[in-house]
Amino acid sequence: MLGSSLKHIFSMAASVAGLLKPWTPSVVLVRWSRYNPYYLEPEVRREAYSRPEAELSAEEQEERKLKELRPIKAATCSTTSSVFDDPLISKFVRMIMTDGNKVLAREIITQTLENIKRKQVEKYHKTPAGKKEEIECNPYTIFHTALENCKPVVGLASIQKGGKSYQVPIPLTDNRRRFLAMKWMITECRENKHRRTHMYEKLSQELLAAFEKEGNVIKKRQELHKMAEANRAYAHYRWW
Amino acid sequence: MALHRLSLRLRPTVAHVRSIHTSRYGRQQEAAAVDSESEPISVFRTQENDPASQSEKQIGQFYTLPAEHIRLLFPHGLPNRYQQQVKTFNEACMMVRQPALEAISYLKKADYSKPALRYLFYGVKGSGKTMSLCHSVHFCYTQGWVVLHIPDAHLWVKNCKELMPSSYKSSRFDQPLQATSWLRNFKITNEPFLSKIKIKQRYVWTKRESTEEGRPLGELVDQGTSRVKSSSDVVAAVMKELRLQCGHPESNFRLAVAVDGVNALWGKSTIKKEDKSAVDPEELTLVYNLRKLLKNDWIGGAIITTLSQTGSLYTPKSAYLPQELLGEVRSYLPLKPNSLSAFKNPLLLLKHHSFLPAVRKLKIKYSLLFESKTMSIIIYILFFSSICFFCKRLFSLSKELCFLHSIT
Repeated sequence: MLGSSLKHIFSMAASVAGLLKPWTPSVVLVRWSRYNPYYLEPEVRREAYSRPEAELSAEEQEERKLKELRPIKAATCSTTSSVFDDPLISKFVRMIMTDGNKVLAREIITQTLENIKRKQVEKYHKTPAGKKEEIECNPYTIFHTALENCKPVVGLASIQKGGKSYQVPIPLTDNRRRFLAMKWMITECRENKHRRTHMYEKLSQELLAAFEKEGNVIKKRQELHKMAEANRAYAHYRWW
Repeated sequence: MALHRLSLRLRPTVAHVRSIHTSRYGRQQEAAAVDSESEPISVFRTQENDPASQSEKQIGQFYTLPAEHIRLLFPHGLPNRYQQQVKTFNEACMMVRQPALEAISYLKKADYSKPALRYLFYGVKGSGKTMSLCHSVHFCYTQGWVVLHIPDAHLWVKNCKELMPSSYKSSRFDQPLQATSWLRNFKITNEPFLSKIKIKQRYVWTKRESTEEGRPLGELVDQGTSRVKSSSDVVAAVMKELRLQCGHPESNFRLAVAVDGVNALWGKSTIKKEDKSAVDPEELTLVYNLRKLLKNDWIGGAIITTLSQTGSLYTPKSAYLPQELLGEVRSYLPLKPNSLSAFKNPLLLLKHHSFLPAVRKLKIKYSLLFESKTMSIIIYILFFSSICFFCKRLFSLSKELCFLHSIT
């Protein structure tokens, strides 16, 4: 009995050690994480740890037990457990960044948020008392809502069938939708605005327009939806 | 940094912050918000909007400047960032700071039949020197003084687009653009005095134009704003008239000279002559006459100045002490004569000195340090100026800001 349990422990230890070694996937993709899939994502938010035991559901308790045993990936340098940390904003900063100049990208985003806030506060002070509640002053909620409004629901994929390629409507993953919204926002601000305005000015104008469901990015999204609707007939060409 | 004390101050206010938040949905009744707003107002805001009646009790609290005063008194005096805040929040709230209060108390007690006292605000970047200057100037304005405010002396020694040789003295140079813009702002601030003060000398501008004796000062200023060529000489004339006239029993006004970035007048300039040699600040009419005004050989007023490294030329970023920015402080007379220790510790170079024999040096004010006022600033910005982001996490937000400030 003792021997078998010891053997079990040794074999488990050997397999765990194997998982912690440097790892390559069996099918090597172009972009892949160097971590073994055995590793779990780190939880950075402080609120997640301050919840008492009783509040958690069964799955969350399971997850907690798992986290006690499994190894966890290292958190990136730019993630913080600060109150001001927003994963969506961080993602946007990384997308705006060019040549690795994250300081500049972050500066632009901070100025954008400040600009949005200033415009909204000025608008707030000018509105009559009855309508003041409708003005949203929090730049973070404006940013989130604007991006939500820009996200497309379906996308188009080019599928070749019988020598001809068709634009087929396909469902998009959440990540892809978020990526497309951010990409459209950034390209729109970089290309279609007046050359002499600052990026933060352009971004704040476009974000406020998207918040009100106007503007070029929303128009692009609507056009994509119209194309998808027009090509509904080819939807069955999709095999996944 | 006494976070515990600050948190105690915050706790009663966090509860009703939720009623002041500005989210789209779920807004509490405005009546409840208005009632509970009276609580934090007494802690972070004062109703004492007159600088003359402010005392140590209001240090760290915000007082509101009336919009009329802002428009008239500070067409060019406030820092750019502050002007943005005024535009956004629709009100101008200035914090009552201890060095400004001290300067104002000296201004109240000074004997104006003796030569003008000179005050100098110095300190590290961002410690509130310009704002303290504006506070003192606001006090002078409310007391009915004539205010001669030069918003940034650095702007007169750099980036000069038009440099003309002076018509009055051939070795000097004129700066018409800077002079006209300054005269325009001077006119806005001192409108009531322009008709009361009469000039005592005849000024000849060209063969056909001259300003006679006994004409009001307003005519002189108009001459400067309309004839751009002679505007620098007009500035010199205005300064001379004010300097000679104030303090005499017949003229019932006092003069407050406020200069921001006074180290520019004795530093170097980046303006180049046609043969690419640098212009000495002394060779500029505006600077030469301002230096004459800063000498304390006139009575009936006060000279309030600020050091500034931010716009200065050829000075290292870390320099903030008067010795570093103004040059050699040769002729300071500390209370004990011949004590070299005074040079090492600028805080000793204080105290009342009406009779400094030196040409250059000025009486120093205490340096400004931004200590426990952080909390009031944070509270002001978060609560009153509707920048409530995460109202649920307001307390942790302020705690984090305080921590970040204390380590920087």
